[in-house]
Parts: sequence; structure tokens; C-alpha cells
Amino acid sequence: MRVGIPRALLYWYYIPLWETFFKELGVEVITTPPTTKGIINKGIKHSVPEICLPIKIYMGHVFELLDRGADCLFIPRMVSIKKMTTFCPKFLGMPDMVRFAVEDRNCRILSPHIKAPTENIARLSNFIEIGEFFNKDKKTTARALKRAEKVWLKYRSLNMQGYTCAEALDYINGKAPLPVKEKKDVTIGLMGYVYNIYDSFISMDVLTKLKNLDVNVLTFEMIKPKTLNAPIKKLNKALFWDFSNKIFAAGMHFLDNPNIDGIIHVTAFNCGPDSFLGKLMEIKSEACKKPFMTIRVDEHTGESHMNTRLEAFIDMLRRRDFVKTGEVTS
Amino acid sequence: MKVSFPYMGNVHHYYKLMKLLGHEVIMPPRPSQRTVDLGVKYAPEFACFPMKVMLGTYLEVIEMGAEVIVSSGGKGPCRAGYYGETQRAILKSLGHDAQLIIVDGPYIGIRKLLKIISIIKGKNSWRRLFQIGTIIYQQMKYMDELEKQIQIMKAHEVRRGDCQRAWNKIVEIFDKEDTKEGLDKAYKLSKELLSSIPLHPVEDHQRIKVGIVGEIYVVMEPSVNLNLEDFLGSRGVETERSHYISEWVEANLIPKSYRKDDFHERIQQKGERFIEIPIGGHAKETMGHIVDYKERGFDGVIHLMPFGCLPELVSQSIMPSVMKDLDMPVLTLAIDEQTAEANVYTRVEAFIDLIKAKKFEHNIKKEEVAFV
Ligand code: SF4
Ligand code: SF4
Repeated sequence: MRVGIPRALLYWYYIPLWETFFKELGVEVITTPPTTKGIINKGIKHSVPEICLPIKIYMGHVFELLDRGADCLFIPRMVSIKKMTTFCPKFLGMPDMVRFAVEDRNCRILSPHIKAPTENIARLSNFIEIGEFFNKDKKTTARALKRAEKVWLKYRSLNMQGYTCAEALDYINGKAPLPVKEKKDVTIGLMGYVYNIYDSFISMDVLTKLKNLDVNVLTFEMIKPKTLNAPIKKLNKALFWDFSNKIFAAGMHFLDNPNIDGIIHVTAFNCGPDSFLGKLMEIKSEACKKPFMTIRVDEHTGESHMNTRLEAFIDMLRRRDFVKTGEVTS
Repeated sequence: MKVSFPYMGNVHHYYKLMKLLGHEVIMPPRPSQRTVDLGVKYAPEFACFPMKVMLGTYLEVIEMGAEVIVSSGGKGPCRAGYYGETQRAILKSLGHDAQLIIVDGPYIGIRKLLKIISIIKGKNSWRRLFQIGTIIYQQMKYMDELEKQIQIMKAHEVRRGDCQRAWNKIVEIFDKEDTKEGLDKAYKLSKELLSSIPLHPVEDHQRIKVGIVGEIYVVMEPSVNLNLEDFLGSRGVETERSHYISEWVEANLIPKSYRKDDFHERIQQKGERFIEIPIGGHAKETMGHIVDYKERGFDGVIHLMPFGCLPELVSQSIMPSVMKDLDMPVLTLAIDEQTAEANVYTRVEAFIDLIKAKKFEHNIKKEEVAFV
């Protein structure tokens, strides 16, 4: 039996855990390649038009997996990874959407409910049913999970040392050494869900683009959970969706942090949670006079549009910097 | 202190509640094009439509002098519980000092909750507060029951508009009553009023029944759903909707042990087949109600959602399977500021034709069977 894991949504956050777990159980795993136009088209075909791009992309990867011969899909139902918070309704309903979308395809779906008090979801209660599905006893499942957890913790600690998910993944998979970090004159706080930032199609490789513009980038996954929690605690009311809270918190952290010169928010058209936190960020950034830019992407956004906006933004920051330090040479 | 509130469904309840509590009340105007325009102008582009309309209403009542606006909150998983926070920040950034008070549950912390309640409660004793609450709840139940009856009668009235006129009258009758006995009297009077309306006789198997399900604001507020119930009524279609304010109160404010009936849990359970867990908004209930309408012999369902509504997009995604599974026609309509009335009515019209044809065919088949 081959288990398919779509390279979309929280893949970027949890794949080291998921993949290691299945492999340790002795189950073959297949994943999809980075999003292509073809995958997107499959997604569009199987989604309602108004749904956000990340969900369409997820659907696309689901069908790509089936076409590549997966006979079992791993579609976890992400319920909660923190007290009092949950996930965007589309995450909560994802397994239902997939279940009915693939009704006439012959495949099994594994949708354990994922609940944990912290983002470390490697709890036996979450994964025991998968072990049972593959006829493993509790001990074997627990052992596989422990190993998976270890890899994932390593992965997250690399994030927190300042490596992006892509860099950390390549390192963990033995594909590339960790890159050397250099100090740049401009640092950008980049807000965006992992499935937007790391999806080559949605963000059009915004990280590489920023790297080429010779700036440092900080993302939410590089910030320690404790630091990330602080601005949320100060709110009158937190958002209800975990990763939205993380991004919002990162945004507020960027606003307060003098080392951050400007903030960029990459978001998908029709994203519900972002429409709120984006507006709040707009109001807050105006109040504390920190440059803030939103880049909204859908399936029709052109790459040149993205390039122009990034370049203009960074240019603006550099000019301001020079004014600040009196180094204007014209 | 001049108090106002958002406009959703039968706003006379909120008006009376505030009045009985001794506040000076500003009645929000029924949402109009201007309300929508205001909301759209200042709300985030991708905010949900209800949030925009409510923001528009707030700006209008502020113009009318409101100093305090009271609205309801929520703890997710959908955006509604966060409307207040966002709207408050927007109002402030526009330079308004009106206070937006969000009535939330104990999950925001008992201290905060008590503070909010004490503002609304004013000088009333707790006992009086409870009394007022009971009166309003009673009025909600009475008026909802009457409205349900009207939704059926509208399909068969002899003189077009009779039912609507009666409803306006009923609102007036209830407006005058502030006591339990007064409400009983108003209810009786209203009943009599309704029974005096001439109706076309109709046989049971000829009645066409449509359930209206979906997101609560667009289901309950006729001014944003293009008076859908009225339109269906004028085409001879009886309606019932998935949301009535008294039921909302029962599900959200009345402790479980006091509830007469576990109606909501039943609906949730019925929805489980399609959406396993509550995912926010009323998507799971949407599923449950469709199953319920099927079981009760309804002929079709209209599924209303604000454009881009997160949980209802999930419902919409699985709707083809639901229709097939239940053999129930469902028409999904997404509503926002750009919705064109003519377009919606054409689609609804076509939908009515479809369910009528389906029913007619079915009846013929039944007769044939009976004949053999
Ligand atoms: S958080 Fe936004 S982008 Fe992510 S699934 Fe929900 S609506 Fe889509
Ligand atoms: S249920 Fe729909 S309309 Fe209500 S808050 Fe959620 S997205 Fe907005």
C-alpha cells in the first residue's frame, strides 16, 4: 500500500514528522512534486471557484497523487494545536471535501483528528489509528512516532536558528548543507502561511527573489513560540486560527522590532482570516510608521507584478535608510 | 447613553430589550444600498459580506448619534467572533469614539464578561435583568412561530401582500406590550389576524416546500437576501429556514439542562454524515438541515452564503454529493455587494420549475402505481 501525502498546506510544517512516521512503520510514502500549472488545473477542476488558491492547490495535489498511483491518502484533520484555538474552517472541513471529491476513485483516506496542547502533534492519541490501520501494535507505532518526533524537533530547531523551511528540509533530507548566513543592510519581516511562502507557484519563490535583492528575511517559523505568544497575549481577543495567530503575532513582533526595516505580507485572494489580520496590520503599521506591503496572489497573478513590487519596496527601504544615516550620495 | 445594535432579522426584539433596560435606543435603519456602500468602503476587501453590512450599519447609527453599539461575539472557529475586534479598530482609525461592546461568553474571562454585562445591565437589578430576558425570549418564541406560519401562508394568499401587511400589524401589536400577559394577548390577537386572511385552498400533495439553509445573517436578513422568502411565496412556494432567533438563543444562551428539546444536537448529528465535526459558522447544521428537510418531505433547498464564506464554501464543495446522496435538489446562492437581483431571481425561478417538474413527475408515478 502506498500512502500519498500532498505537498501543500501544512506539508511544509510537518512533513519531516509525517514522512518519518510512515517510513518507520514500514509504509511506502509518495509525495507530489512542487506545484505545477498542471497540478493547479487539476485543483481548479475539482474545487468550487471562489475557494482560496491554497485549497485548490491542495486538491490538485490530491488528484496528482491518485494519478501517480497512491492507493491511500493521508489527509489529517487538523483540529487544534493550542488551547482555545483551532484552524481555518477550510482546514477543519478538508477531509470531508476530499472524501466527496474522490468518491468515485478507489482509495482509502486516513484522517486522524489532530489535537495537541502545543504544535508538537507527535502524540500517540493522534496517530494510533494509523498504526492500527497498518496492523502495527501500539509499541511499534509509539516507537515510530518517537523517531518521527525527533526528526521534526530537529527541523523546527533549525527553523529557529534562522533557516527557512526549504533550507532545513534540504539539510534534513541530506540534499544540501546549511547555507551560510550573512548580515545584510536591510531585513524584511515576511508574513505568510508556510503553504503560501514555500509553494513555488503561489509565492513565485519570494524567498529566492528577496535573497537576490540582497536582504535578510525573517519568517514566523524562525521565531520562538514564546516570543510569538507575547503579542497575542496582549490582544483584547486572539484570533481563533492557529497559524493566523502565528502570522499576526509575527507581524506585531516585526512592528516592535527595530531590526526589521519593512514588512511584507504574502496572502491568497479570498483568504478569510488574512482579510482581518491584514486590515489590523495596516492600521497598526500606519500608527507606528513602519513600511508594510501586501502582495495578494491568485492563479492569474503574473510574476513580473511580484518582481516589480518587491523591487520597489526594497528600493524604498534602502533610500529611507540612507536618508536616516545621512549617506545619500544621490 | 444612546445605544444601538446591528440589523439582523427581527430587530424589534433588540429594540425592546434595550428599551426595557432603560437605555435610550437608536433603531438602526434597514440595510440599504448606502449601508452596503459604507461597509464596503471601509471594511477589508475580503471581509465577509455580513461584516461589511454591519460595519455600514454602525457608521449609520453613529451618524444618528449612537454612543454605544452592542453586538454579539463568538469564539470561532469562524470569523464572526472577530468582527467586533476588527470593526472596533476600523471605527477608531476613522476617528469615531462610539464604543463597540461585544457580548461574549465566559471564555473571554469572567472579569471582562461581568464588565460588559454591567454596562448593558445599567441600574437594573439582576432579578429585573432576568425578568426582561425572559420577556424578550417569550416574544421571540411567539413572533418566530407566527413568522413560520406566515412563511407557509404567503404561498397561498388570495390577495398578494395580505400576509406582509398582517406581519407589519403584528409587529405593531407586539411593540406595545412589555409584560408576559401583554405578550400572551398580542399572540392571541395576531393569531386571529392571521386566521382572517383568505387563502387559496390547497391539497397536501400539491404544496411545494423549500427549506432555506446557510449562513445565519444572509438567511435571516431579507434586505440582504433579496427578500427571498417573499419571492418564493409569491411563486406559490412555502418556506422554512434553518435559523430563527429564538432557536439561536436557545442554542447559545440557555443552559443545556433547561432546554426542552435537543433539536440542535439532532440537527448536528444529521449533518455528521457529510461534515464530521463543527467547522465554524453553521456548515454542519446546513448539512443537518438538508437531511432534516429531506426526511420531512421538502421538495428543495436553497443554500445561501455570503460570497467567500469559509465554512459554507466547504458545504458548497460537497453539495453535489449531498444532492446525489439524498436525491434532493439544492440551489446554492452566494451573496455579496455585487449580487444582481435579476440574476438571482432568474435562477430561483428556474429552480422552482425544476422542483415542480420533479414533484409532478413523482406524483404521476405514484398515481400510476396506485392505478395498477
Ligand atoms: S487560512 Fe486563508 S489561505 Fe489558508 S485555507 Fe484558510 S482561507 Fe485559505
Ligand atoms: S460563517 Fe461565513 S460569513 Fe460568518 S464569519 Fe464565517 S466566513 Fe464570515
